[in-house]
Amino acid sequence: MSTETPAWMADIDSAALTALGAIEAAATLATLREAEVGALGRKGNVTALMKRIGKLDKSERKAFGAAAGGLRGKVTRAVSARREAIVQAAIAAELADTTFDETLPGLDGAPGHVHPLSRVQQELEDVFISMGFSVLDYPEVESEFDNFEALNIPGWHPARDMQDTFWLEGGHLLRTHTSAGQVRAMHQFKPPFRAVFPGKVYRYESTDASHDHTFHQLEGLMIGRHVSVGHLLDSMRTLLSAIFKRDVQVRLRPGYFPFVEPGFELDISCQVCDQKGCSVCKQSGWVELLPCGLVHPNVLRAGGLDPDEWQGWAFGLGLSRLVMMRYGVNDIRLLMGGDARFVEGFHPGT
Amino acid sequence: MFVSWNWISELVDTTGVDPKAFAERFTLSVAEIEEVVEFGAGLSAVVVAEVVKISPHPNADKLRLADCDLGDRQVQVVCGAPDLKVGMRVPFVPPGVTLPSGITVRHGEVRGVPSPGMLASEADLGLSEDHDGLMELDGCDAPTGTPLPTAIALHDVLYEVDNKSITHRPDLWGQVGMAREVAALLNRPLKPLDITGLTFGDTPPLDVAISAHGHCRRYLCTRLDGVTIAPSPVAARLRLRSLGVRPINNIVDATNLAMLETGNPLHAFDASSVRGDQLIIRQAVEGEQLETLDGETRHLAPTDCVITDEQGPVALAGIMGGANSEIVATTTGVVLEAASFDGAAIRKTATRLGMRTDSSARFEKHLDPETARLAALRFCKMVLELCPDAQITASLLDKGAHIDSPPAPVAISTSRSYLRSRLGLNAEQLSDAWMDRAFSALAFELRGEGDELVVTVPSFRAGRDVGIAEDLVEELGRVFGYDHIPSEAPQVAARPPYLPPSKLQERAARQALAQGRGLTEVVLYSFESEPFRKRAGLVELSAAGHAEPRLRLANHLSADQTHLRRLLCNNLLSAMEDNLLQGNRAAEGHKGLTIGLFELSRAFVPLASNESAHPAADPGLPPALTDSTARQGYLDGLSDALREGATAALKSTAPLPWQPRRLAIALGERLGGGQQGLVSAPKAVSVRLFREAVGAVEDLCRQLQRPAPQFKRQPSVGQLPDGLIRHPGQVDLRPAWLHTARHATIAVDGRFIGLVSLIHPEVRSRLGVPAEVALVELDLDALLDVTAVPEQGEAPPKFPPSAFDLTVPCQPSVRADDLRGVLAAAGDGVVDGVSVDVQWVSEYADEGTDAFGRALTFNVTSRNPDGSLTDDNITQIRRALLGSLLDHSQVRDGWAQDMITHHS
Repeated sequence: MSTETPAWMADIDSAALTALGAIEAAATLATLREAEVGALGRKGNVTALMKRIGKLDKSERKAFGAAAGGLRGKVTRAVSARREAIVQAAIAAELADTTFDETLPGLDGAPGHVHPLSRVQQELEDVFISMGFSVLDYPEVESEFDNFEALNIPGWHPARDMQDTFWLEGGHLLRTHTSAGQVRAMHQFKPPFRAVFPGKVYRYESTDASHDHTFHQLEGLMIGRHVSVGHLLDSMRTLLSAIFKRDVQVRLRPGYFPFVEPGFELDISCQVCDQKGCSVCKQSGWVELLPCGLVHPNVLRAGGLDPDEWQGWAFGLGLSRLVMMRYGVNDIRLLMGGDARFVEGFHPGT
Repeated sequence: MFVSWNWISELVDTTGVDPKAFAERFTLSVAEIEEVVEFGAGLSAVVVAEVVKISPHPNADKLRLADCDLGDRQVQVVCGAPDLKVGMRVPFVPPGVTLPSGITVRHGEVRGVPSPGMLASEADLGLSEDHDGLMELDGCDAPTGTPLPTAIALHDVLYEVDNKSITHRPDLWGQVGMAREVAALLNRPLKPLDITGLTFGDTPPLDVAISAHGHCRRYLCTRLDGVTIAPSPVAARLRLRSLGVRPINNIVDATNLAMLETGNPLHAFDASSVRGDQLIIRQAVEGEQLETLDGETRHLAPTDCVITDEQGPVALAGIMGGANSEIVATTTGVVLEAASFDGAAIRKTATRLGMRTDSSARFEKHLDPETARLAALRFCKMVLELCPDAQITASLLDKGAHIDSPPAPVAISTSRSYLRSRLGLNAEQLSDAWMDRAFSALAFELRGEGDELVVTVPSFRAGRDVGIAEDLVEELGRVFGYDHIPSEAPQVAARPPYLPPSKLQERAARQALAQGRGLTEVVLYSFESEPFRKRAGLVELSAAGHAEPRLRLANHLSADQTHLRRLLCNNLLSAMEDNLLQGNRAAEGHKGLTIGLFELSRAFVPLASNESAHPAADPGLPPALTDSTARQGYLDGLSDALREGATAALKSTAPLPWQPRRLAIALGERLGGGQQGLVSAPKAVSVRLFREAVGAVEDLCRQLQRPAPQFKRQPSVGQLPDGLIRHPGQVDLRPAWLHTARHATIAVDGRFIGLVSLIHPEVRSRLGVPAEVALVELDLDALLDVTAVPEQGEAPPKFPPSAFDLTVPCQPSVRADDLRGVLAAAGDGVVDGVSVDVQWVSEYADEGTDAFGRALTFNVTSRNPDGSLTDDNITQIRRALLGSLLDHSQVRDGWAQDMITHHS
């Protein structure tokens, strides 16, 4: 056995020097990757060395293979070690950095804003949906029949005067209340059913801070075999408690609306003072909220229902007013004024 | 309408009832009380004085000195009242007293003469607005020095009732009606009004003929002579004052007191002024005139009803008397009219002439003709009390259709169990006896056995108030007290609610635009602003160039708002202008937008004469009662009066106009330079706004799970691109704001959905702010009609795709999507089973003069589902794509060939 150093040993040493030197010198993962490819890649110097084994004498192959393989292992380990070192150094450097300014203002994501009328309407719809009410949508230009006659409002009734209604040339009108949908709903659905229909309504009246010629209402209608004042009371208390997200007391007073009999004005316990007495409720503890009542048999008839068989309750909630109450809006004209700054004053999103 | 507790207390025993506390019960059971007013309070320090001597003021011509007897002492005060006379009894206010009017009386000097107190007018005491002269305490026998509230029944508690809450209750327009309610609530008897001791003569006062039967259902008439006209005693005057009526003289005051009590207005003529011996109640003749009591000359119309004597009108029926027959100081004979006029006719005349009187306000409520007689009798009783010398000198003439053919009493068949069940009460909670008592207290008569009931309605409730069993439910319920009815959960069918797709669509749209795109929702009016429309030159043109019709109001509040909008974008553009004018926005959006608005609302498009509404425009609208059986069933159930109107209304129900649900978007940026009207927008801004708008529409379609929208310019203005379907009522193709060179029609799945456009430079130049605006208007219903893209759970591809970029030098006029289409088609099927997707990435535009100075970069992604792509595959695809551009006229000559030769 020869003790003479083989000629290729110098080449291995030289390749090791080049490869390991480049690896040690790498300061970033990218240069490390270059060094690794320079050694072990398809055209790398260690790879090139490995390819020489075929040209060697058989007696030398074993020793050469061991030496070259050892080099490849060494290089691979060196790359791993170097990579770990670079990563750790970077982490340490980032953690040691004291220049990050956490007080710079947040970046504006430019959130959009949904109109408060839409928000409140959707919130109410969701309350009603959760209690099995369908949500319907009916036209704003209505026939005189659906807006008046079908609701038991005959021609002599003062509500039919020009003073209260926007009429269109040709005889149709802009609905004066969402109640105009009642008869439509009765024709659309097989009883029993319950539904709400929100939307725009119109009144021919001059505007001020608390009146607008266009505003939003939400009509509620329940049709069943047996519907009593007791049911109405329970329904209204439950629904309004869900809407106000707290326990609400309700009371009924006589109120005259041709399409309900008996008809009521519904008061709710004052949400401002909890019935302790304040300026909002004029010390009475009660605030007038909405008109409601048991559906008049003539309305059921107009809806194609037999009043001996079917009964119902209905209410009309002022959505615009509810928005004003909830957000302290002191001028109704802000709602439809088209000023983006008003809408953007509310929380973004839906 | 005021309710006087004193008056009520004359008719019902109210002992032990605090009127202020009772007000709540009244509100809960009868009518809404707007305010509880204390009348004549705070006057206990005021005493009755008698003027015993008057002497001139040494230093003032218009002032005098009055020596007054106060019972235990005499004082001298300075007084400026011209009506001061010896012997008159007046209220004296001692020093230190603060009156309801706010005045504090001082122990002062007036023009150098001491005046320890003052003599008061009604206004001083807060009893009326009358400052003219002292309050004369005539008819008051109390000794001097008596405190005023003791001397006359001064103090009262008044309920001011909301008139709107009693429009349906003609019986509540008199104190006696209110007293009946109080009696029922207190369960105490109602005392009858005193009409005893009246003796009428045998001969009628006059001949009365009614030709206006529709206007006048009953006319009662009598005559009193020996009348002495004088002011009413102080108590009567105060009662009138407290209820808001001005005292005139004893006769006129008696008509008003009887009206306030019974609710039925009366009128008194001066008998000597009535010409001839006949009164005719007839419709006025065109051109006829009458000077009414207020001194105005009224021009009458045939819809008005007048009372005429031999020579012409002497009163405007039910509203106001004529000046020619007014009660005057010399009147000794009085002809009384107690009539019942038709409410609708009175309302019509009162509205037309702008004369709303206490009388017309009551007649409008459709009074019970029976009450007219009671009012006549009460008037006579009062006159005989006020004028001891007066005598009734004629019979009580009573004429009219109401007498000739009296209406049958209204009787309602129902059952006790029905009435209870509608309230939600059982027989223990609401006993038979309680029910009987409540009905009888309200003057309803009950018959029937066991559960069955026949309820006869009193005439004063029978008109338009109570007619069906449900009305009886209300009567019972309110007397019982709705607050005593236990609430009970209704039994309801357990079914999922129906939510129309349109509702879900609107919610998703809101989410996409507000949360996804950072836009702000506005809710605008349905009326267009005509001044803005005119200023901005907005009009909707048909393809042929004529203006499309809009729905026009028959009555409008303002000449600025006469039409309903056909397009949402017009108002939205106006709102955008307003918002841009506000300037100095706090936050600019991350996408560089200054303002982004959207609106979800209905537009209104008239039907063309040959159209009937398409279901897509109005989803789920059931035509009212088109089924003849349903219609007949409905009409049969109505009262005669209602049936007539309902039949007519059903006949005239023409189809409604289109009311499509629309979405409109406006993206606006205020431009610098300040040369409003002249500035043209930098193209980069225009491109960005337009692309933002396109992106919003794309997001919307994604959010609504609809196929990706296609954007194509109109081939010529007002024309749809080939193959698109557009329904009537959809977005107009030629709104004035459409920029003919910078717009696109939006199509989804071959359906026309709407428009996206920058505003026309002409419109832009007319805005009040230099700005560029992109508008979108689209039909939500049409979008809903497009089938949603189905969702499928596909396994992700196993092999990675291969991608490269291609940057193509081309002419500025080339459409990126056209070029993309050419490339995509070329890549298709080049390698078996390999899909090629081409997407536009970016553009570079050279501002120079190079005809091919624009470069469009596309990303080409190829994917083989069954394996990796080889380099050869990629080369093949690349060559095929380049090959497709070899002869493209808008791509730089030789570029494609060069790329094939040298780079692949």
